[in-house]
Amino acid sequence: MTALPGTRRLLATWATLMALTLLSMVSARLDQNSWQALPLWSAGLVVAATGYKVQRLLMVYLNLRVATPAWRGAFVGLVVLTLALIAGGYLAARLS
Amino acid sequence: MTTPYASLRRVPNPGWGPLSTLPGNPLMWVLILSEMLVFSAFFALYAAERVTATALFDVSQRQLDPLMGGLNTLVLLTSGLCVALAVEAVNHAQIRRARQWLGASMALGVLFGVIKGVEYAGKFAAGITPETNAFFGFYYGLTAFHFAHVLFGLALLALVSWRTSTENVETAAAFWHMVDLIWILLYPLLYLLR
Repeated sequence: MTALPGTRRLLATWATLMALTLLSMVSARLDQNSWQALPLWSAGLVVAATGYKVQRLLMVYLNLRVATPAWRGAFVGLVVLTLALIAGGYLAARLS
Repeated sequence: MTTPYASLRRVPNPGWGPLSTLPGNPLMWVLILSEMLVFSAFFALYAAERVTATALFDVSQRQLDPLMGGLNTLVLLTSGLCVALAVEAVNHAQIRRARQWLGASMALGVLFGVIKGVEYAGKFAAGITPETNAFFGFYYGLTAFHFAHVLFGLALLALVSWRTSTENVETAAAFWHMVDLIWILLYPLLYLLR
């Protein structure tokens, strides 16, 4: 049987994920009436929060922390690459 | 000195070669990896299109309601917690408790679908379809593809609620978390980064 994260860690992770989602929503300034492009720091915060959320989901919800460092690195690397694509596309559009 | 038997006991899936150290069903990890690659390819396409039609994407993105997307993120994250708690329960031989968590997770999955349905209905009522422009092609394409995964995940969760075993619940849970993971990436891409 695989060592599971335990209820306390699951609840702490869930609280973190919820808080980061709310932080992303606030930093993205959801007021539709004053719609404008995000400042770069705000967009950076959204991307960083997203990356951390995915990392926690992989390590705790999916319990990847029990796998070898190579697998952990592979999945985290893929997430970083995906976020780089998202952030790069966003930046290229913003700065063009 | 570690005996071969002891070293075999340390890995979750002995006999699966490089996949043996992954928790749960190794084939589910192959699926998770391939799904992440597929969605990443779509994200790259979206990014490339956005660079060539920035103004169109900005105007179109304004039509989306980030609060609805955020609400759906919170719903899916909570559903993921319920599935993880179901895995904990089934590992402690608490089958009834595991089924209750699976039921809660499915209810939240259905709520996700209802919110998404309300969002789609609003868009269609406003005359916004996948053919409206490139942005909405991506919006509908990506969210509908993801939603198809939600429906399949719900079917899997229902199946393992009926055939409840540790392996079955872990396998369905891994798929459900993958659905969650993809949405976490989709949400900022479509709704927040403007």
